[in-house]
Amino acid sequence: MIDSKPSPNPGHAIRVRGIRKHFGHLEALRGVDFELKKGEFLSLFGPNGAGKTTLIRILSALARPSSGTATVAGYDVMEADPEMRREIGVISHASFLYADLSPLENIRFYATMYGIENAETRAVEVIDEVGLKPRMHDRVRTFSRGMLQRLSIARAIVHNPSILFLDEPYTGLDQHASEILKDQLQALHTDQRTILMTTHDFSRGLEMCDRVAVMVRGKLALWESAEQVDPAGFERLYLETVEREGKN
Amino acid sequence: MNLYLSQVMAIIRKDFVTEFKTRELFSSMFVFAVLVMLIFIFSINLSVVKANQVGPGVLWVAILFAGTLGLNRSFTLEKENGCLQGLMLAPVDRSAIFFGKMLSNLAFLLIMEAFLLPVFMIFFNVELGSHWAPLLAVILMGTLGFSALGTLLSSLSSNLKTREIMLPILLYPLMVPIAIGSVRLTGQILDGKSLADMMNWVGLILCFDIIFISASIMTIDHILEE
Repeated sequence: MIDSKPSPNPGHAIRVRGIRKHFGHLEALRGVDFELKKGEFLSLFGPNGAGKTTLIRILSALARPSSGTATVAGYDVMEADPEMRREIGVISHASFLYADLSPLENIRFYATMYGIENAETRAVEVIDEVGLKPRMHDRVRTFSRGMLQRLSIARAIVHNPSILFLDEPYTGLDQHASEILKDQLQALHTDQRTILMTTHDFSRGLEMCDRVAVMVRGKLALWESAEQVDPAGFERLYLETVEREGKN
Repeated sequence: MNLYLSQVMAIIRKDFVTEFKTRELFSSMFVFAVLVMLIFIFSINLSVVKANQVGPGVLWVAILFAGTLGLNRSFTLEKENGCLQGLMLAPVDRSAIFFGKMLSNLAFLLIMEAFLLPVFMIFFNVELGSHWAPLLAVILMGTLGFSALGTLLSSLSSNLKTREIMLPILLYPLMVPIAIGSVRLTGQILDGKSLADMMNWVGLILCFDIIFISASIMTIDHILEE
């Protein structure tokens, strides 16, 4: 799958080589390799505990790998360069938002943290983009799960990152909120952002991606381009892959 | 450097806005401090014991106990909804997070102390006269070390399930030098001595302030990681 050494090659948004991660005796990642070109959308599936969140934490420099290398936007994740942090945005099932502050206060705070000039103007802009401007002075604590997730998008894109990591963004959303989130992710992808999304939702995961991967027990067990995957037969393929790799 | 300062200021501002909206921290700290003082007042016979001898100890015990409530809350707030992770994702130096949290804790403690001091003077019938300035200097020095060490240990204990128990267990033994120094200095000031006569204690407190702040800057990276 991978044929060249890691380098800060601007052609690749993400390049991962032999990433391993141990938590004591537990091996969460057992040698992960892949590359993602700029503007590509990867949907990463896998059972609970497969290592998907750990991989995202490593790629966003929130955790260090035990071994292996990874470059994100050309920067080594081990060095956690501030410039690399400016290139990435993370949307997780946790919102990273202060419940007692308003959307405007939250997003303005993060905008300041990213060193954005006119933080307030930019905050209003992204809140408007996710359709929450009418409620930008209300406390975040009063928001529904769907609104929180939209506000999470505003937080993640306030610094206009070129790479987005989405860790199970559809968790806990109803159909309507999922549809709104899908439209917003679609818009982010159209803007030529590189996106890595982990999800358990096959239909949501397959409808936008360019690449499909399945992670089982800390390894990539399947890596295909989206064109090669039949959405109708994907569930069977997934279950077979998980069962096969689970035995190894 | 400008970005660093604006990040520190943004953290302080965020904590103040949160406190202004919730009014959880100040009210609980102040009420608890007054209750601690009341318990001591009822258990001490001030017609037998001089207020200047026991008062400083009571004042500092109230400050430390009430302050621990606020410090416990400090990083717990950052853990809700994974906010600390959100901060860690931003291009922000970990020491800026520490300074932001430490300075907001310091400000909350100083505001609480500003309300507590008149209560202390009434309960113990203490006349400060011209000793205001040295007493405020001692309170500032003692509270600085307390908030620095407390913020560091709060960040450490916030990862633990038993954080409410662990913070005081870790904090109080390490606070002993500053607590003793602050109690002695406060007592001597109430006895009418000038700061110039007490430079040993002043030096001790300042040394520990510097040690706690330096140790925090050196270790905060590792504490906030994973």
